[in-house]
Amino acid sequence: MKKKNNPWAIFWAVLAMLYFFVPMLGTFIFSLRMKRGVLSFLAYQSVLSDANFLRSFRYSATMGVVTVIVSVVLLLPSVYWIYIKAPKMKPVMEIISILPFVIPVIVLVFGLIRTFGRPPFQLTLSSFGTDVLIAAGYVIISMPYMYRAIDVGMRSMDVRTLTEAAQNLGSNWFQVLTLVILPNLRIAILSGALICFATVMGELILGDFLVRPALGSYMAGVGRSKAYEPAALAIISYGLTWLCLGLIQYFSRGRSQQQLTGR
Amino acid sequence: MAQLELIHISKSFNEMTAVQDFNLAVEAGEFISFLGPSGCGKTTTLRMVAGFEIPTSGVIQLDGMDLTPLPPNRRNMGMVFQSYALFPNMTAAQNVGYGLRVAGKPRVEIEQRVIEMLDLIQMHDFAERYPNQLSGGQQQRLALARALAIKPRVLLLDEPLSALDAKIRLELRQEIRRIQRQLGITTIYVTHDQEEALSLSDRIVIMRRGVIEQVGTPQQIYNFPASDFVAEFVGHINLLPVEVVQADAGVVRLGSQVVRAGQFGHLNGRPVRLAVRPEELKAGSVEGANNLTGMIESVTYLGAIVRIRVDVDGQLVSLDMFNERSLEIPVVGQPFHVNFPVEACWLTNGVKN
Repeated sequence: MKKKNNPWAIFWAVLAMLYFFVPMLGTFIFSLRMKRGVLSFLAYQSVLSDANFLRSFRYSATMGVVTVIVSVVLLLPSVYWIYIKAPKMKPVMEIISILPFVIPVIVLVFGLIRTFGRPPFQLTLSSFGTDVLIAAGYVIISMPYMYRAIDVGMRSMDVRTLTEAAQNLGSNWFQVLTLVILPNLRIAILSGALICFATVMGELILGDFLVRPALGSYMAGVGRSKAYEPAALAIISYGLTWLCLGLIQYFSRGRSQQQLTGR
Repeated sequence: MAQLELIHISKSFNEMTAVQDFNLAVEAGEFISFLGPSGCGKTTTLRMVAGFEIPTSGVIQLDGMDLTPLPPNRRNMGMVFQSYALFPNMTAAQNVGYGLRVAGKPRVEIEQRVIEMLDLIQMHDFAERYPNQLSGGQQQRLALARALAIKPRVLLLDEPLSALDAKIRLELRQEIRRIQRQLGITTIYVTHDQEEALSLSDRIVIMRRGVIEQVGTPQQIYNFPASDFVAEFVGHINLLPVEVVQADAGVVRLGSQVVRAGQFGHLNGRPVRLAVRPEELKAGSVEGANNLTGMIESVTYLGAIVRIRVDVDGQLVSLDMFNERSLEIPVVGQPFHVNFPVEACWLTNGVKN
């Protein structure tokens, strides 16, 4: 590793950083120019004082939390079960888990509306029903991330032997999951949860087509009608995503002491 | 009455038979080893006792009660795994106390038992360490303490020393035996290491391809193997093709030299071989014993033992000599005389006795 840094490598790295950061910097500077001639945080003030922003932010954040909980409750036992009882199902599960990448969200949302908006379900008639539908949609969209995270976590420990050891000592399935498997997957689940949350916060199409006050839809609406606020919003949402990434980094590094394998 | 009984146990995975008609009665406090090459069904049998595999047929009884329908968490058996399987998120003390915690035992009782167990394995100073802060040997001792903390009726050990290096393995082997004697707990020990089985066990079960080849004390297994497989699998042995001279007296010919065997069964038409352990052979000629003459083919110096191979009329005969400082190591190519008592060898025709 003592080798001198290749100048070309540095060149490409700098180029990539410029490609990434220059537009961001531009957006940021632009967002500060709401007041003619001076740089100010007026656009941010305008955004943060908008009741609609707060409402949609709260809505999406709530949905993010719900999505994370439902995803974990749904995926953790499923992935665990596959590891323990049906390892042959793993390739099938892998394919299912990437389907949301392959099927456009627009197709998903129309499918959901057509299926569940009609009798006998008619979920779209009430706002709660629609929320259920949208949460289900979010769970599907974020499934690849959550599945990967849990899968990687399980791979890093000897799930089967740990399960057998716990059973041998008298635990039932619930105790095995909550006392042994879950604590050892904490970091994996946490990082999955943060990606899930970030995905939901930025999601546009589901909120738009199901007509719910999601943050994505709000941002798109503002983008159509205003000039400086969308730039401010973009920076805020970037910040949020980066915060999530930072938290993932923090937790997966800081606690690595306890993320041990059973081997 | 035996404490643990395995009665006509069989296990098949799809088409493959892993264990076939396994019968064994284990007395309370007994240390039993399952010994055999990999794939012989020893681990599968152990896992059936633990409840991780369900027998295709047969019954497992503990103190006369049928265990077969019970799930693993209700069998009260302590198991130690090859890979330790300690819970990485828990400290040493929490690992040991886990079984009592899920059983809903009061805190005071758990703490007391944990201290007792850590004392037993001499690891009280490591109570607050996490498994990754412990060495392999310490981890396995901890796993043993965890298995014993629930006061299991039977202790099951699945190749517990295989992942450790030689020196630790030896230490831990003695420790396992000490603890087992101290607690008087019925123990089943699965291993592919004959030395472990011979040194630890009250009785050894030799398995091959899912079938029991022989059950016996270490001495019975070693000195009176029930089959050629057992003879070859446990320790070293010379199995030399011979020609029968006098079937009813056990007289055979090895090349051109006559040998008398101490033990021989009915020698039907199959090819007969002479079996004798290398350590039974001595250098030189002795009147009344079997004497062979040959040429030294190779000499291997192993420290405590010097293994010599002698070419006797085209057959290679191994003999082990104990090392001494004054020992003159024989030279390859020299003529060499060996002798062994008549009772030390037997004739086998490959059919199980």
